[in-house]
Amino acid sequence: MSKKLLFTPLSTFFNRTLTSIPQRFSHHLKQSLHSSAPIIPSPPFTPCDNLCYSSPFGFLRFCRKISCSKSEENFQTTCWNCHAVPQSTPFLFCQSCCSIQPVDHSIDYFQIFGSERKYDVEGIDLEGKYKEWQKKLHPDLVHSKSQKEREFAAEQSARVIDAYRTLSNPLSRAIYMLKINGVEIDEEQTISDPELLAEIMEIREEVEEATNSEALNDIRSQMQEKLQNWSNSFAHAFQRRNFEEAKKAIRRMTYYCRVIEEVVKKL
Amino acid sequence: MAEPAYTVASDSETTGEEKSLPLPEIAIGIDIGTSQCSVAVWNGSQVELLKNKRNQKLMRSYVTFKDESPSGGVSSQLSHDIDMLFGDTIFNMKRLIGRVDTDPVVHASKNLPFLVQTLDIGVRPFIAALVNNVWRFTSPEEVLAMFLVELRLMTETHLKRPIRNVVLTVPVSFSRFQLTRVERACAMAGLHILRLMPEPTAVALLYGHQQQKVSHETMGSGSEKIALIFNMGAGYCDVAVTATAGGVSQIKALAGSTIGGEDLLQNMMRHLLPDSENIFKSHGVKEIKSMGLLRVATQDAIHQLSSQTSVQVDVDLGDGLKICKVVDRAEFEEVNREVFEKCERLIIQCLHDAKVEVEEINDVIIVGGCSYIPRVKNLVSNICKVTEFYKGINPLEAVVCGAAMEGAVASGIIDPFGNLDLLTIQATPLAIGIRADGNKFVPVIPKNTTMPARKDILFTTIHDNQTEALILVYEGEENNAEQNALLGYFKIMGIPLAPKGVPEINICMDIDAANVLRVLAGVVMPGSREPVVPVMEVRMPMVDDGHGWCAESLNRTYGATMDLVTLKKA
Repeated sequence: MSKKLLFTPLSTFFNRTLTSIPQRFSHHLKQSLHSSAPIIPSPPFTPCDNLCYSSPFGFLRFCRKISCSKSEENFQTTCWNCHAVPQSTPFLFCQSCCSIQPVDHSIDYFQIFGSERKYDVEGIDLEGKYKEWQKKLHPDLVHSKSQKEREFAAEQSARVIDAYRTLSNPLSRAIYMLKINGVEIDEEQTISDPELLAEIMEIREEVEEATNSEALNDIRSQMQEKLQNWSNSFAHAFQRRNFEEAKKAIRRMTYYCRVIEEVVKKL
Repeated sequence: MAEPAYTVASDSETTGEEKSLPLPEIAIGIDIGTSQCSVAVWNGSQVELLKNKRNQKLMRSYVTFKDESPSGGVSSQLSHDIDMLFGDTIFNMKRLIGRVDTDPVVHASKNLPFLVQTLDIGVRPFIAALVNNVWRFTSPEEVLAMFLVELRLMTETHLKRPIRNVVLTVPVSFSRFQLTRVERACAMAGLHILRLMPEPTAVALLYGHQQQKVSHETMGSGSEKIALIFNMGAGYCDVAVTATAGGVSQIKALAGSTIGGEDLLQNMMRHLLPDSENIFKSHGVKEIKSMGLLRVATQDAIHQLSSQTSVQVDVDLGDGLKICKVVDRAEFEEVNREVFEKCERLIIQCLHDAKVEVEEINDVIIVGGCSYIPRVKNLVSNICKVTEFYKGINPLEAVVCGAAMEGAVASGIIDPFGNLDLLTIQATPLAIGIRADGNKFVPVIPKNTTMPARKDILFTTIHDNQTEALILVYEGEENNAEQNALLGYFKIMGIPLAPKGVPEINICMDIDAANVLRVLAGVVMPGSREPVVPVMEVRMPMVDDGHGWCAESLNRTYGATMDLVTLKKA
């Protein structure tokens, strides 16, 4: 087992979030689990948000399991405040009484942005949608409401921030797409691919030897090109549901992103 | 939820808990500048700047300790600038607040007419005003509080209602420790801070408001607009990149530094009278007077150099010290080259952090007292590749107007015309992290993270059988932990005996919607999912005055015995 599996996110113990442990488990999510089943007989993880770093909902890894074993009866489909039936999906905000709804983790990041699950996000106005949501959900705007709703606001708004951040970056978007398909990536895994290893050595040397900003910028644009290429191959692999290939692409992308970061630091 | 049977609501305990009143009180906006200060309020349809009895919208930030009771820049009537330079007047409190005596900014304040002395041991500096030939000790918090009381009284007279809630603007580079000092000053003045806003983000809010209005009027789609805001006053220089659409402004990045008009002034004084620091060191009455005269003359010269290319400085400092010199603009720019270079670096860094290319910027907004200096305008327009700046924002009033709008928004005021349909999504101005990997600062929440935010990082022990770890929480941008601002510290105890590198120590930091920072620490042993000791949760900042002492003595006593390193995954 990798270390990651052992590690309990601290947020698990963080009392503020305990109030909002989701008691439901969506049909949608179950479907996606089924669809990935033939490839990975027993997915080691339940699909979960919060992939890279920020983990306001990291505790989910646990409570999901608990809620899995529970029934799906208390699936909530009406507004907690006015009991109105949602007029639109995703249901983060009640249009009838303007109350913010509790976080429903079965709504994935793509649904938040009103999109199907696809890697190409060119056509989605992420920034615009993100701001639209924030205008309804941001905790700064609900301070006159009840403590309960203020907590919902803090969590919903944080989740939309996470969703936006995750989907707007090609690498984190790729990792997320695998994750919601039940495929986990260990980002820290050691690289064993000899081809990539050789390339890494070469690039590392180049970065070390680069002394002027021109050379560094040159490396940066090379890396960006490679990143784009591998991002494309991820898209292809994912489409064919070849998750091994997709993981390989992600490892490459992770590495190129790191080089870009390093180069930028030196610039 | 059931209310507790009793409630004790003292001033300090109601912080952050705004009770919903039937008629919401509109919070006023205050911009405390290093040199000037202003107050504004949403009057129901627009922002209105309040004036003092002398009909001034911009009031000098100072307090004079001359007579029985001190008087500040809101009410007192100075006939000339020189009147605040006799040693009995404290000003520049915004440069001094929340700083220990090892801070270079405090050291740079030693040739002000009032007394600033340091022991360089990490305690608060000795700051005093000369009243009837006796040095009266004071603190930046006290001076600021006195000034705020005057400001509050003036506002109350004007609005004919008691004032309690305020939105205050602060420099980007202020640490959370400095913010607690500002909060303290406000509490002393009977004011409750509803929100503290980095200055350029108040301008961003105003810009977002104007853009929304424009798109309403033209029935436009209200597409996203990116603006760079450059704000340089007497004490601080701040830069922000904001992306606004439909009244929502996302702060993409912030950058700030303690450089401003005061530095330009001091560099010029040194240029005109190279030995000035030594001459004025003694702070005798005569020396203070000469220093005051030099300050005023230099200030005048700098002002004139904004509109003309050279200026004649002619001043008799007494005691045979005379300065008679022609200074041209190029000379002024050369003397202050480092200051201007720092400004350039801030803009470049901010653009980089925001991941915005120069070509993507729709508007460049330049505000603050230094925005009138030709060299400053030049450097901003050169980097941003623009020929002109955004119009429609008053460079000296933008910050306070933004603060007043935020005050109305945060007070829950709804404008029927949608003028207050605004939101600013803030980002962390500085990184927050702990000391680890030797003396390194390891950020847990990086700079420019959208708030509210929560992040965690895994650490581990550096010694075999290490049972305790010292968590030192810092805020800042420096790689060396001690060069950042210390926010607090606590110990994790009861780490099970294990070889070094085995226990997993998770440090989680959480900034909630009310901008409260909490640090959580937990220990997990491999193979278990439960924390071995109860998770510690500490609210920061927790240090008080003299916190520099703590860091020094902590280091001396413990060294690296309770250190941590970041856990590298195999």
